[in-house]
Amino acid sequence: MRKDIKILVVDDFSTMRRIIKNLLRDLGLTNVEEADDGQTALPILKRGDIEFLITDWNMPGMTGIELLKAVREDPALAQIPVLMVTAEAKKEQIIAAAQAGVNGYVVKPFTAAVLKEKIDKIFERLG
Amino acid sequence: MVSGPDARNGLSRFEEELQQHAESLVTAIKSGNLAEAMDLIHLLHEFRHKTFFTEVGHLTRGLHEAIKAFSAEMGGALEGGQESIPSDVDAAERLNYVIDLSEKTAHETMDRVDNALSLVDQLDAQSARFKDLLSLVGQLEAEHEGLRGVYDRTCALKEESEKTIDSLRTQLTDIVVSQSYQDISGQLIRRVITLVSNVETHLISLMDMAAKVQRLSGISTDTEKSGQSGKSDPIQAEGPQIRKESADIVSGQDEVDDLLSSLGF
Repeated sequence: MRKDIKILVVDDFSTMRRIIKNLLRDLGLTNVEEADDGQTALPILKRGDIEFLITDWNMPGMTGIELLKAVREDPALAQIPVLMVTAEAKKEQIIAAAQAGVNGYVVKPFTAAVLKEKIDKIFERLG
Repeated sequence: MVSGPDARNGLSRFEEELQQHAESLVTAIKSGNLAEAMDLIHLLHEFRHKTFFTEVGHLTRGLHEAIKAFSAEMGGALEGGQESIPSDVDAAERLNYVIDLSEKTAHETMDRVDNALSLVDQLDAQSARFKDLLSLVGQLEAEHEGLRGVYDRTCALKEESEKTIDSLRTQLTDIVVSQSYQDISGQLIRRVITLVSNVETHLISLMDMAAKVQRLSGISTDTEKSGQSGKSDPIQAEGPQIRKESADIVSGQDEVDDLLSSLGF
């Protein structure tokens, strides 16, 4: 995994954005941008330099699942790996995220080890 | 709440009325006066209707007061802290304040953890410099009999201390991750805010509707006036008081106790 990979973290709670940023920093990943919902995330993604998206589900404005679908529908963005980090824990929600093309799904509250493991796994699969 | 005693009055009045009219009804039927009997049945029916309607009104108001009281208590609990919130805010705003406050505190905690982590980095750097010094001791050991074994023992100690630094780092990272409670609790509080707002909106429309139906159907004109409305206005329940500076409102439990004891309680 390249350490300078550009990552976008989307969550409406600044606490959670900071936690994820801290854990990414522990993995040596420091090129991180933030957005507080899907609506603010999309323009950043459309700029074209984001290589990995970590998003919450339940956000005002545009939710994470809507953002995921928008990303997969846009040919320019469709290839970006997406990790969902969310408190939504219903089976049908996880299935819906999988069907929408999510690359990983972490349920809050999570441990540092779990988040790191899921991120590693996504990058392993991407090769 | 206000609905308690009033509701009991309403019900006991209903029972009295029922008994009286039931007796008149039996008398009317026995004496063959069917027209009067029908009138009485109609009267009873209407009276039952009014009573139940008033009951629902009381319950609605009680629920509304409970929500207002909840909102005020939330505020009271917070005002003990360093920062007090403006007192004339509703339940949703108070709950939003809880979210903001916990967010701020979570960030302050993480600021301190960040500071601690940079101290841990310093420890790491110091350990590296220590390693350089240690290799010097290793070289000297061969020349000085008294230094024999010192290098090995110091190396073991240094490794131990590096392990300690590692677990310190893990602990600090766990503190950061545990701040996610703020997100989880914030999401739950947002749901409660939606619930409280919905319930309150529906209650208000229910009370509005009740008032309109009351006016249209002419219910309460005589019973309310004779019973309670004249005196109930100044003491009508409003829930815990938020504006405490007003002269006609007590400032705390002490003042309540004083007032009660002055009244002979």
